[in-house]
Amino acid sequence: MATDAPALPAGLTKGKRPPGLIADRGFRILALAAGLMVLVILALIAIYTTREAWPWFSAERLGIFSDNWDPAHQHFGAGGLIYGTLLVAGVAVLLSLPISVGIALFVTDVAPERIRRPIVYTVDLLAAIPSVVYGLWALLVLAEPLASLFQTISDATASIPILSTLFANPSASGKSFMTAGIIVAIMITPIITSITREVFATVPSAQKEAALALGATRWEMIRGAVFPHSRSGMVAGTMIGLGRAMGETIAIALVIGSSPRITANIFGPGDTLASIIANQFGEASGTHRAALIGCGVVLFAITILISMAARAVVARTDRRSAGTV
Amino acid sequence: MKRITGYLRWLVPTALIVGLVPLGGAIASAVGAPAQGGSATLNGSGSTFQQPYNEAVTGAFKQKNPNVTINYSGGGSGKGRQDFSDQVVDFAGTDAPYSAADAANVKGGKYFYFPTVAGPITVSYNLSGVKKLQLSAETLAKIFQGDIKTWDDPAIKADNPGVKLPSTAITVAHRSDSSGTTQNFTGFLAAAAPTAWTLGTGSTVSWPADQQAGQGNPGVGQIVKSTDGAIGYVDFSDAKALKLKFASVKNKAGKFVAPTVKATTAAVEKAQVNADLTYNPLNAAGASAYPIASPTWILVYQNYSDAAKATALKNFLNYIYGNGQKVASQVDYAPLPKNLLDKAKAQVKQVGGTSSGSTSSAPAST
Amino acid sequence: MSASAMPLTQSTRKGRRELKNAVATALIVASFVVALIPLTFILVYVVRAGMTVFGLNFLTEDLPFSNRFEGGGIYPAIVGTLVITGTATAMAVPLGILGGVYLNEYGGHGIFARLVRFLADVMTGVPSIVMGLFIYTIWVLPRKESGLSGFAGALALGCLMLPIVIRTTEEILKLVPDELREGSYALGTRKAQTIRRVVFPSAAPGIVSGALLGVARVAGETAPLLFTIGIVSAANWNVFDGPNTALPQQIYINASVFGGFDAAQNRAWGGALALILIVFLFTLVARVISAVYARRSAAV
Repeated sequence: MATDAPALPAGLTKGKRPPGLIADRGFRILALAAGLMVLVILALIAIYTTREAWPWFSAERLGIFSDNWDPAHQHFGAGGLIYGTLLVAGVAVLLSLPISVGIALFVTDVAPERIRRPIVYTVDLLAAIPSVVYGLWALLVLAEPLASLFQTISDATASIPILSTLFANPSASGKSFMTAGIIVAIMITPIITSITREVFATVPSAQKEAALALGATRWEMIRGAVFPHSRSGMVAGTMIGLGRAMGETIAIALVIGSSPRITANIFGPGDTLASIIANQFGEASGTHRAALIGCGVVLFAITILISMAARAVVARTDRRSAGTV
Repeated sequence: MKRITGYLRWLVPTALIVGLVPLGGAIASAVGAPAQGGSATLNGSGSTFQQPYNEAVTGAFKQKNPNVTINYSGGGSGKGRQDFSDQVVDFAGTDAPYSAADAANVKGGKYFYFPTVAGPITVSYNLSGVKKLQLSAETLAKIFQGDIKTWDDPAIKADNPGVKLPSTAITVAHRSDSSGTTQNFTGFLAAAAPTAWTLGTGSTVSWPADQQAGQGNPGVGQIVKSTDGAIGYVDFSDAKALKLKFASVKNKAGKFVAPTVKATTAAVEKAQVNADLTYNPLNAAGASAYPIASPTWILVYQNYSDAAKATALKNFLNYIYGNGQKVASQVDYAPLPKNLLDKAKAQVKQVGGTSSGSTSSAPAST
Repeated sequence: MSASAMPLTQSTRKGRRELKNAVATALIVASFVVALIPLTFILVYVVRAGMTVFGLNFLTEDLPFSNRFEGGGIYPAIVGTLVITGTATAMAVPLGILGGVYLNEYGGHGIFARLVRFLADVMTGVPSIVMGLFIYTIWVLPRKESGLSGFAGALALGCLMLPIVIRTTEEILKLVPDELREGSYALGTRKAQTIRRVVFPSAAPGIVSGALLGVARVAGETAPLLFTIGIVSAANWNVFDGPNTALPQQIYINASVFGGFDAAQNRAWGGALALILIVFLFTLVARVISAVYARRSAAV
């Protein structure tokens, strides 16, 4: 008896598949397949867009970076578009960052406890407004007053050397790099705010309290305990906001003025990689179409680089804060 | 038991919200839409110049043929030609024929140009205090090129003796999209002011940098309407609807002619019609002809895989050449002159594969 | 001498510090107010301008033949938004949840899982216009006349939603304590059963809330629809057959091309109001669900 194999539990006969195994394996395969889909879709996007854009790359070579977008003569240099994308995103981040940091500080360190949640919800409401509504508002409400403002600033700075080139020829309709930058700034504020807020919330209260106990004012506490701890987090948030600003299409398309070129005149019309696709793709053929898809590829590449950089910075922040008390 | 009801509580309403709508949609369309013979959907895109006419004639046509739905998405002649070439739409509107290079890339086989109406391209402007304006082709060329920058320029003054012109800066509005209107307007400038106009012709040209760009004819109209000192080229129907002021343009005979339907008809009647029913009424001769009269066509294939579509298209075209011509004048377009109309009617018969051969050019003229 | 000089310097330095603090606090409060200004401005404007056309007629009538003049309603656009977003959700949410389940429950830190996680992150950064181009090239063009459809738009929107749902699902699943899983395994349940019976019920509210936020975001997208859905003036409930229209598209067209006409402007505002209501509704439901979830898990 001792040498016999122990009796199998009831319901489990030797050699028969245990109950539920198929379902289990099936589910696992299903989940795996879903993960695979992401891989497949992204690979398809990369392959197809690069393939469609190839005629442009081979026709222009390095000329794709020249500032010569001229469909009439079959020249497609995207230099002006890359410049426009970077300029609008840059203006947007520049305008949005101080505001976002201010709101985050307000929520974490200044506002009374009770109103923090409602404030967070309110700012998230800004994030929920669709991009086309922002564009509509910017076009119909913001553009005209901005046009007069730009004219006033332009007249006022006409004799000041550097500023006069920046503010030289304000667009009469208000459609310009600056207007696009302003509306995109409003759009990315909730994102940067929410990331910055989360980073500020991870500051150990022990450090904050220590600063206050030593007699620091609130501002000194913020400068001494919050900022140093959150520097890389803020950088990461900024870069995420930058990435979002670069990918913005519709709101920019409505107010940028459709004039691809590299110019210092930020009150004048311009164009970005995303908005030129929205405006010209429908009618484009041959090399023009390839060039527009190529603009999408360039834009995609830039956003990947920025998101990789942001992730690297975030990873560094995680490692850093993991080490702190 | 509690666990299961617990997450079912979330799952069920969510599944309802998410799944019911497309499901309901599919059911509704299967149950609701009777698959009648003769019911068809025709999708088109293209010229915004003809869009006001298309909207009016489609509305009238639908009352007679309620089971034919016609969707026209505009987007500019360039888009229309491209979509038609890719066979993504059933028909397209265009104010200019294919270039030779593009014609070779049309994928759907033999196609026809069906002229529908004609209309003036206005030179609309916004200048406070100036109610009447006359412009010659040379002056126009210099304005749109950016050589003339203010309204009190001597050239404009020369065209308008006795009119007090302010020193406002000129804001030029052009099309941002690939446009048949641009092609015809620049075609006129190249024909009437060949030495002054240097930007060439085409559905897009390399406009100077600091001008304003608008999407579609109404987009240009919007810029003119909202900016003091602005000038732009807009189709007549939109310019009227936006209550813009238009300039009279000097024609080939030396007379300043205002953009009207009558003056357009005078120009179109003079134009020579090609075998494929394309023609060029720009810079027409004759004292009363408006020099910037624009033609416009609908592109239709000879063969469609869906017979109902071919029939619907033929009915639509026949309507355009029947009652549709009366609709034209109601929306400020010029109906076709008789000889062109007859040729067009004859060409309709060829849609739907009644004529063979994909390489033979247009039908024998009647 | 120095003893009597000190209180003076101390108090001026302290005064300067207090001043800096006051200025900084004022700026911080001001930034919050500055952020509120565009939000209130936009919402007030949309409501005010939208209400000039809003009403039962506006919500139930077909689009007029011409955008230039008054009349008609945006019913077809509402229908289009619902069916297209609904189809996109039906495709992306189950797939995304499964993907998130894979990443957190099966994949862990393996190479493949890390790759998928990285690619999902990258995919969230794909500009929506590029997604639209992609679907146009591989779906619409090969299908010729039957290419432009609500389904093409749904594909583009679904591709946008997928990475968002995967990431939020993974984040929520991470929050489910491992003890729950281990207890279930200890009782002999298999992995799939554990996920279905133990992990999901406690993660469901969070997942649903995340999915609804994704739906809200995608319902407002315009760029992917530009080249994929065509246009119609009568409601098309069939997402697979024929072109369609959607609220963001109608707003865009009425603003960009026809913006010079007052009737088109009002229609755009009305459409914006309708769109914001839909988006806010989804966002609100998502927030309520996650608030309830937070309270529930806090109580546990």
